[in-house]
Amino acid sequence: MIEVTGLTKRYGSFTAVHDLSLAVRPGEVLGLVGPNGAGKTSTLRCLAGIIPATTGTVRITGHDISADPVAAKRALAFFPDEPRLFDYLTIRQHLNFVARIYGVADHEAIAEPLLAELEIADKADQLPGELSRGMKQKLAIACGLLHGPRVMFFDEPLTGLDPLGIRRMKDSILKRAREGAAVILSSHLLHLLEEVCSHVLILKKGEKIAHGSLAEISAQFANGESGVSLEEIFIRATGGSEH
Amino acid sequence: MLGALLYLRLTSLKNQIISRAKRLRQLKYLLGALVGGAYFYFLFFRNFGSSSGSRGSQRAAANQALAALPTPEALAQTLPLIAAISALLLLGIVILAWVIPSNSPGLRFTEAETAFLFPAPISRRTLINFKLLSSQFSILFTSLFFTLISNRWTFLGGNALTHALGWWFVLSTLNLHFTGAALTLSRLVEGGVSPLRRRLTVLGGLIVVVGLTLGWVWRDLRGPDAEDVAGIAPFTHYILGLLDHGALGALLVPFKFVVGPFLAPDARTFLISLAPALLVMVAHYSWVLRMETSFEEASLAAAEKRSATLASVREGKSVFATARTQARPGPFYLRSSGRPELAFLWKNLLSTAAYFNLRMLAIAAAIILVGSKWFLTGATPDIRAARVVVGMIALAAGAYVLLLGPHLARQDLRGDMPRADLLKTYPLRGWELLLGQILTPISILTGLTWLCLLAAALTLQPTGRMALTLTPSVQLAIVLGITAVTPFVCALQLLILNGATIIFPAWFQSTRAVGPGGGGGIELMGQRLIFVFGQLIVILTALLPASLAAFALIFATQWLIGAPAAIALATLVVLVVLAGEVWCALWWLGERFDRLDVSSELRP
Repeated sequence: MIEVTGLTKRYGSFTAVHDLSLAVRPGEVLGLVGPNGAGKTSTLRCLAGIIPATTGTVRITGHDISADPVAAKRALAFFPDEPRLFDYLTIRQHLNFVARIYGVADHEAIAEPLLAELEIADKADQLPGELSRGMKQKLAIACGLLHGPRVMFFDEPLTGLDPLGIRRMKDSILKRAREGAAVILSSHLLHLLEEVCSHVLILKKGEKIAHGSLAEISAQFANGESGVSLEEIFIRATGGSEH
Repeated sequence: MLGALLYLRLTSLKNQIISRAKRLRQLKYLLGALVGGAYFYFLFFRNFGSSSGSRGSQRAAANQALAALPTPEALAQTLPLIAAISALLLLGIVILAWVIPSNSPGLRFTEAETAFLFPAPISRRTLINFKLLSSQFSILFTSLFFTLISNRWTFLGGNALTHALGWWFVLSTLNLHFTGAALTLSRLVEGGVSPLRRRLTVLGGLIVVVGLTLGWVWRDLRGPDAEDVAGIAPFTHYILGLLDHGALGALLVPFKFVVGPFLAPDARTFLISLAPALLVMVAHYSWVLRMETSFEEASLAAAEKRSATLASVREGKSVFATARTQARPGPFYLRSSGRPELAFLWKNLLSTAAYFNLRMLAIAAAIILVGSKWFLTGATPDIRAARVVVGMIALAAGAYVLLLGPHLARQDLRGDMPRADLLKTYPLRGWELLLGQILTPISILTGLTWLCLLAAALTLQPTGRMALTLTPSVQLAIVLGITAVTPFVCALQLLILNGATIIFPAWFQSTRAVGPGGGGGIELMGQRLIFVFGQLIVILTALLPASLAAFALIFATQWLIGAPAAIALATLVVLVVLAGEVWCALWWLGERFDRLDVSSELRP
């Protein structure tokens, strides 16, 4: 579903991501972790076709995001850490707009339960300026989910959500994965990754330093100890610093 | 305590200057600084340090200009008149400060200042002094800038120094007055009934006071008689009589004190005028200090509002755009399926004023039709003259909309560029997205241009020999031709501006930079000039092939098929050429947008 081969992203002489390869199959949730500046956001943005990779290929549901971006983007949804909304469109109008862009027929039938699931149905006719940070985040999520993406990228998805919102978001991600979506999410909240992710990829200074299922990663860095948390694994894997 | 606050202001200023100097290492700022500097040089300083030959010619020109100036006697009469009119202008500004309701708290603080200073152990009086001193930085700069402009007004006498100090007196006193007025109004509306009623009561009271004063002045005024309007000198004398005597004369006295230093023709008069000007300023200062009203809450709200405005401008919106607080229905029903470009038209129309719709266009067209019917039936010379004036204004307005409108109607990619990462996740080709984005400004500008064209076509009637050439059928062909071509010209203009944001995103971002360290400077002015000149050159180049083809066709075929048919044929060719150019530009810019690396290029 998501196939990445030799992905490299450079900004001038600075290499943000170096020769990254990975694959995420339907139903899998890959957690992308790493210290600040490790290249997580650059990776996700390259995978979503927001920024071009310097070298390497990214295939989404079989479509090369560079050669056939339209087909690839039809299948994916990207959820940024900061919701990007249009100031003059209400929640309902946002969904209407997105439905037209993605060609979602009968979008009202999909939108209503989605708004109810995200608990923003009662705010459907309000502008983003009237919504709280969490509500805006929910609206961005509703827009992303409207076209039923088979591939989803979440960049720090829980920023700004209240505890109940966090719980619902986790359930929502797991529900989509169970329905066959391939998900990659980046977060510093390691306990969330432990609960949600089937696989983990640890990045440091743009390099992949560990990749595998939670059990495999755990075995790699546990040094024979049992019950080692992902937080401990992360610290051991990254050396406990950004550099 | 004031020392610490001044440290804050001076250190901020120093760091701002250093950061601006440092960014000159980037080519975009360096080029901008060079162009901006050149512009300033040619505008204000080119007369300084020029060669002796040109200095000689300048001297001759200056002598010529001097010869054209009024005699000393006339000057002695003119300066008091200028002083009186300037004082009247100041009076008008001051009245507006009192009568027009303002939400300004009187003292403007930034969000950082409200966060640090309001909870700090600083007295209200110290805060007022701090803000007054802070405002001196911008006042000094503005005085300097105004001096550069007014230095050309040689008829005033004086020199650069007296003009600079004169401007400083005027601007400082006005600043103190605005501050005092806002604080006084804040105090007046404190406590009591609801804010609206308080505001209305205060406003009503002020209107009564101003009205009574104006009534008192009005009673004193006398209309001009035949002798007064017999020439410039008696008319000047009449106006001066009105402004110098009676109630109005008394009312203008303090304002004349304020403009006195600026209008002093020599050093002696300047020194004499200093004392009354200082007196007015000190009186204002003590008034402001006495107004120790609780400005904090209003200042907090104003700081937040200003912060929101800055954020809005950083997102590519106009500084005059105010956030709409109420949702409204879509401009038309947007189905889930169909061309995605229409979704952008729908979305961007929602971001414009509600009156930009087809119904209003139809109403405006109907008004023009009815109005022009009245004009056309009127046969008196006055109506004919008015018809020409209206027609010319409509033509000028149409040209203005067509040429400058694209800079103002920004409901396109320029407004959405800060959300470029979101746009790039959409399953659309770059050209589809770009076409969708420019549809709204094309619709708005085309609609407005068509209205102007309609008004001009209905009111401008050729006479004399022009009427022989511009027969009704030729006129109709020209109007229809321009009507057909307008959307394509708008599209080209908008593509150039949107293209600039795609090809030079970093430049575009920096010209949109606002706030401390970003919003001003000669380098940003230079960048904007480069953009404007670049746009002008590109649009002229783009229009050249179509224009040449049109002229050649009309010239070659009008003898064979007649002028109207030749114009129609030329219009068709122009449409084909322009449509081709629009398509090529869309395709090329779309490709560029697809390849745009938003992460590395959207940094100011």
